[in-house]
Amino acid sequence: MWIPKQWRAMAGLLSMSVPNEDNMSPHMQLSSHFFGDLLDSIIVDVASECHRVARLGLDRNLEEEEEELRLSAQARVTVANPSNSGETNGKYVVDIFGQTHPCVANEVFDCMNCGRPIVAGRFAPHLEKCMGKGRKARSKATRSSTAAQNRYSRGSPVSASSPYSNSTSTNRLLNGTYSHTVEEYSNGTCEGP
Amino acid sequence: MATRNSDFANPKPCEHLADYKLRHGLSGYKSIQKWLKASPYGKTSIKMCETNMPICRFCSGFHQGRLFLCLICSSLSCSDHTLLHTQSENGHDIAVDIERSELYCSLCSDQVYDPDFDKVVVSKNIMDMPSKTHDSVVDDLMRRSSKRKRLNPLMDLDLKRSKLLVSMMDRRAKSCYPLGLRGLNNLGSTCFMNSVLQALLHAPPFRNYFLSERHDPETCKKRSSGQLCLACDFGVIFSALYSGDRTPYSPAQFLYSWWQHSANLASYEQQDAHEFFISVLDGIHEREGKERNSNKDVFCVDNGGCQCIAHRVFSGMLRSDVTCTTCGFTSTTYDPCVDISLNMDTTNFSSVNVANKSVREDTGRSTLLACLDLFTRPERLGSDQKLYCQNCQEKRDSLKQMSIKRLPLVLSLHIKRFEHSSLRRSSRKIDWYLQFPFSLDMTPYLSPSIVRNRFGNRVFGFESDKPDISSEFEIFAVVTHSGMLDSGHYVTYLRLQNQWYKCDDAWVTEVDERIVRAAQCYMIFYVQKMLYCKANED
Repeated sequence: MWIPKQWRAMAGLLSMSVPNEDNMSPHMQLSSHFFGDLLDSIIVDVASECHRVARLGLDRNLEEEEEELRLSAQARVTVANPSNSGETNGKYVVDIFGQTHPCVANEVFDCMNCGRPIVAGRFAPHLEKCMGKGRKARSKATRSSTAAQNRYSRGSPVSASSPYSNSTSTNRLLNGTYSHTVEEYSNGTCEGP
Repeated sequence: MATRNSDFANPKPCEHLADYKLRHGLSGYKSIQKWLKASPYGKTSIKMCETNMPICRFCSGFHQGRLFLCLICSSLSCSDHTLLHTQSENGHDIAVDIERSELYCSLCSDQVYDPDFDKVVVSKNIMDMPSKTHDSVVDDLMRRSSKRKRLNPLMDLDLKRSKLLVSMMDRRAKSCYPLGLRGLNNLGSTCFMNSVLQALLHAPPFRNYFLSERHDPETCKKRSSGQLCLACDFGVIFSALYSGDRTPYSPAQFLYSWWQHSANLASYEQQDAHEFFISVLDGIHEREGKERNSNKDVFCVDNGGCQCIAHRVFSGMLRSDVTCTTCGFTSTTYDPCVDISLNMDTTNFSSVNVANKSVREDTGRSTLLACLDLFTRPERLGSDQKLYCQNCQEKRDSLKQMSIKRLPLVLSLHIKRFEHSSLRRSSRKIDWYLQFPFSLDMTPYLSPSIVRNRFGNRVFGFESDKPDISSEFEIFAVVTHSGMLDSGHYVTYLRLQNQWYKCDDAWVTEVDERIVRAAQCYMIFYVQKMLYCKANED
């Protein structure tokens, strides 16, 4: 065969040990023979397909691909080497513009929802409560909204489920959870995501 | 590559094949055409007789192996005896491998190629196809690849005007660094947002659109009617980033707008960057989608589709072919997409025993191209997933294969780094390294390549198959994730003017490209090479 026994031997070594024909029963020999034929057929199929791809130049830009692989492998080696300074932890360095920044962003601006001045690094937790979103606010809001629905059905116009409401009921919920969140947050170090 | 393309359409025949063609022309090919039979799996074989097994004329099946059918006298010889045949019958050099319908030259002992033969094979394949399959698949096979793709008008997107605007804004800029490079403050677990924003802010066509003020807040319909408009908010961020001010910017207004848009994602907790990306594009789409298209989900197959900036830049089209394994009938559907989510090939990883625990180790061969191969590989749908075949009129086992019908200007690839274990009913993050290239050629994953491969990569002779430059991409941003599934940190690496920058919330630093290559990628952004080169000329 023009795809010689080397292929089969290799496949044999890779998949299972080449059977020792002397020790086998005729039945086993026959099965082994059939298996060998099937394996040969599959190997030739693959080889024929690859031959066409290679001969017609359909295989992609192998050189470029290999170059990329080589560069990546090299990069990993360089980066893994502890003697290379590599990346410095972004939180403690000077950026390219010569600036340093605190762990928690300290720019202050007004919240677009309630108008209060908020520190940038704590804006998201503030906004969550301010808008009445989030798990904690939501679960509390549900409880109060049920109460509000009851109230409403009794004729009260107040709805505690509105996220933009400035009603006192929302404020009470917010205060409780807000301070809780502040505690959580200040517990963390600069590693916070 | 010159050699590659000239070989494809006109493979050079060996002297024996050339000789055979001179004497016999196409008669031999045509005579065996009636015996060609294609399987739904894509292999074309030669079946001469329904009842008898084909055997070698010389050894009568004693030494089987491969069988070759002589094109002149139709006698069968096994691989050991093809030489015997050609020696006994002068000129009977060319045969056909009956398993795969490939030409074989007995004197060269090699597989040879002839576009005329391939044409005969493909013609038979088409003739045999269940009637309804005919259109889409055949069109793809026969389509001339030299058909020029319609140039997206965004390519000439007002670059002059945006360049002018950019230079005018350059007041306080530390001028040696590219404009638009600016840190984003973390507002409280918002690194998922900052990382994606950085990538979007530096996507060339997207950036050019906003910098040339194509979306004017003054004339914005949504805004004037009091509705929120994420595109307007984006415009604000662009102006801020390109203003020349280098102190970190707080995208607070954007967060506020986005939370109003995506109520279900509005919470102070760690979120997924990819989810944010999809949500933001959806938000921008709504701005124009509802105005221009009556049905938000209408996407024209070939002619542009939705014209909002999000789709014009990010939207591509995926093709899905489902083939019935019984009759070969293939049904094709097209779906638009703004990104491609790729599974990691976890079968590449071997198990090793470390301290009595079976640990899966990264063999170091996991690559982005392998993920793309996996994405476009024919997938056997299990017997519990039988699909209805229109031809057979009942549910059958099928094969499904994905391919890319149309590439977007900006290709966003999302690596699904999670693994779900139904046993433990838990998910975990796949931390393994994934190699990704800086230059990416998407040609092998396009529908024409995939369909052609399904038909045995036959040559049609009239296909010019010049490499289409719009399939070549260059990387410009990588979003990386470090940490666990539930908690971690996102960082974006940007490539501007051939220099890589690390954008870690407020901190922007220069990094060597090797750091980027070795990083654990989560989302990778590529832009069409032409646009990348143009952007770098600035």
